[in-house]
Amino acid sequence: MIYSDIALNAVFVAVVLDLFLLKSRMMTRGIFWLTYFLILPFQLLTNWWLTSNAIVMYAVSDITGQRIAGAPIEDLLFGFSMILLTISAWEYFKIRLNEK
Amino acid sequence: MENLHYSYVLIFIAICAVGVNFGFRLQFSKKLKLFLLTDSLILVIYLIWDFWAVSKGSWFFDSNQILGIMLLGKLPIEEVLFFIIVPMMTVLTYLALTKLTGWGKAKEDSR
Repeated sequence: MIYSDIALNAVFVAVVLDLFLLKSRMMTRGIFWLTYFLILPFQLLTNWWLTSNAIVMYAVSDITGQRIAGAPIEDLLFGFSMILLTISAWEYFKIRLNEK
Repeated sequence: MENLHYSYVLIFIAICAVGVNFGFRLQFSKKLKLFLLTDSLILVIYLIWDFWAVSKGSWFFDSNQILGIMLLGKLPIEEVLFFIIVPMMTVLTYLALTKLTGWGKAKEDSR
């Protein structure tokens, strides 16, 4: 499985978990999108640091080749999925732990 | 100091996290159990993907710019820390924005 597939699967898994399994349905709420778009520029900043210094490198054969701020476009999908799943899981466990 | 290049990212996010936590009085230390549960899910899922991709050679790391402590001989310790500190910053951002906008309350009312 190449990175493009992993990234698409990551988004798929996060969306399915959010909407149907954890049922936090963060995707339908403005606060999630506000959070995401605030984090996004910071992701681009760290991506730029990690790729422009060649700290992390990618197999050319495993990515589409489209890059944003030095990093493969797949990174944006991967990052989106992680942010969604984090907040979705947080809300899921919050209810189960009965926390405010 | 070159071997700290990846760590700088983690340190930068950690500083932001501390600043947001205290700046917005989020009392994150009282929510560690909830965070531990949340992050265990993230760690399991993303470390499997990461390990898979590294095994396949989809991405790899400059050994001069990481600490050199490897999980299962393949994953830099920085990757593991990344999947702890980034979700922590994500939650803190979410909590701060909820507090700032009051949007989180609408959900509780509608339940």
